[in-house]
Amino acid sequence: MDPYKTINCKVIKIIEETSLIKTFILEPEKKFSFATGQFIQLTMPKIGESPFTPSSSQFAKGPFEVTIMKAGRVTEKLHELKANDTVGIRGPLGTSYPLSEFEGKEVLLLGGGVGMAPLRSLLLTLLYEKDKYNKITLLYGAKNPADIVYRDQFESWKKRGAEICRTVDAADKDWKEKEGVVTCLFDDYSVNPKNGVAVVCGPPIMMKFGTFKLLELGYAPESIYLSMEKNMSCGIGKCGHCGVGKYFACKDGPVFKYSLIKDIEGIWE
Amino acid sequence: MEQKFISNEKVKALTKKLIPDYEIFYPRRQEESWDWARMEADSEFTFEGHRTVLPLKYFFYSPQENLVEKKKDKPRIIFGARGCDTKGLSLLKKIYLEDPEDPHFRKDILVFSADCTTYHPDCFCTVLGDQPWATENFDLNFSIVENGYLVSVGSDAGAKFLKDHGGFFESARSEQEKSMSSHRTSFEEELKKFNGNKVLDLKDLESKIEKHSDVFKEYGKTCVSCSSCTNVCSSCFCFFLSEGDENKIRYMDSCQLKSYARVAGGANPREDLIERFKHRFTCKFVYRPQMQGFGGCTGCGRCTAGCQGKIDFQEVLIKVAEAK
Repeated sequence: MDPYKTINCKVIKIIEETSLIKTFILEPEKKFSFATGQFIQLTMPKIGESPFTPSSSQFAKGPFEVTIMKAGRVTEKLHELKANDTVGIRGPLGTSYPLSEFEGKEVLLLGGGVGMAPLRSLLLTLLYEKDKYNKITLLYGAKNPADIVYRDQFESWKKRGAEICRTVDAADKDWKEKEGVVTCLFDDYSVNPKNGVAVVCGPPIMMKFGTFKLLELGYAPESIYLSMEKNMSCGIGKCGHCGVGKYFACKDGPVFKYSLIKDIEGIWE
Repeated sequence: MEQKFISNEKVKALTKKLIPDYEIFYPRRQEESWDWARMEADSEFTFEGHRTVLPLKYFFYSPQENLVEKKKDKPRIIFGARGCDTKGLSLLKKIYLEDPEDPHFRKDILVFSADCTTYHPDCFCTVLGDQPWATENFDLNFSIVENGYLVSVGSDAGAKFLKDHGGFFESARSEQEKSMSSHRTSFEEELKKFNGNKVLDLKDLESKIEKHSDVFKEYGKTCVSCSSCTNVCSSCFCFFLSEGDENKIRYMDSCQLKSYARVAGGANPREDLIERFKHRFTCKFVYRPQMQGFGGCTGCGRCTAGCQGKIDFQEVLIKVAEAK
């Protein structure tokens, strides 16, 4: 078995989330499944590979979804894809959100920007078996209303049982929700750190201050889970690129308990 | 296991016999240094000397290669690999051959190591507490004795090779075994003396690297991020996976290059050169021993020999390790 071989996937549909972000619905040629939080390497043939965490539920059968922000050479080419084009994937790779550790607890998802992608996968996975968890909450922040991803889906998640609060850094005249950085959502929302876990994903600066806020609110470092975005290349713990201290984010992560990495220098950079 | 003796004439006859079936390499002397050369029927060789300019690792994978199923090449035999290089294979095998196995890392290679009889001015295996002969990851080891070599077995494949080619070898005599031990002891003493009889205690290196990060600032001043040190290292393993026209390509990469850890969007945890310089030491002496169980430095001194900024890596290590 060659871990560098890709599985071909057909692009079924492309959804424009924002001016820079698209969600691709991909249908693998072969049987493929993942556990929520694990990532894949998505290959743009002849161009390169980039790591992404699927944004759909781990329980969804058939096609799966990947949400991609245009941020570099490979993602620019990925954004040029059209329906019926073919891409390659390798995976699933790395660690997943430990759902069994979340059971019977209040699960808080704290997301920023396109960091909502892995959290959407987790949210949909949690909602599928929502009776297992005491409460499912999503606190989400974006730069401005136009940068909110999955904008038409928040209502349906609420209907399915999630509590949701949103904020934007800069509101416009139509925005009726909170204004300010994501941590301001805690001003109006009371959490239960004693019987709760928190999962954080977003831009590095947001993850840093989000994590510090959770600690301040009383979450134990063992109860905070981070999805670490690093420069994964091989995805299987061999190429060395995604080092987080002594760990390889591709193999020992991308989902890390904060307690495991809290003393490592530069994790937020 | 019983040791064998092979005479100089028989080694030549053996390699001639092996050439049709194997791709064979040996260390060839080039004035004061040694490079790898392909063994031909008329090659003149000796296993005297010290480590080659380039490390052993590139026989197991290429600095740049297409990750396609290769045509079945002939299996390889590498004569004259030194202890520092075979030690470096421990980490490489752990990384490449486990969880999951990398099918492009060659497993059809017989390593016939040889004891060092000279040293390069940058050699410092003894400073790390290691010996100038192979102690692991070899199939057969060749130690020079009068008129030939004393041959020790290091693996099942080595034992099988001896059995299959039994006619070339004879039982070793006890005076040959004694001669090998005394050569080893006296050469180890010579190398130790050259390195000031220093053996470093690497136990508290993790905290010392942090505490004495000024050492990296001082020595890193002349680093130009050229990646020579990682390219010639016996155990640096990093690569970058890229796309070819029809397949994946991997090429050696280096944590010393600025772009190495940069992520999409431009964030870079090691944009600073000194941070990268320090990171390589931490990786070798802290991260890899903790996570893989094997250190990433074997004292071959190639990093120092190849450094464009004339950094003496042994000196940096000593400075940090001996700091209070």
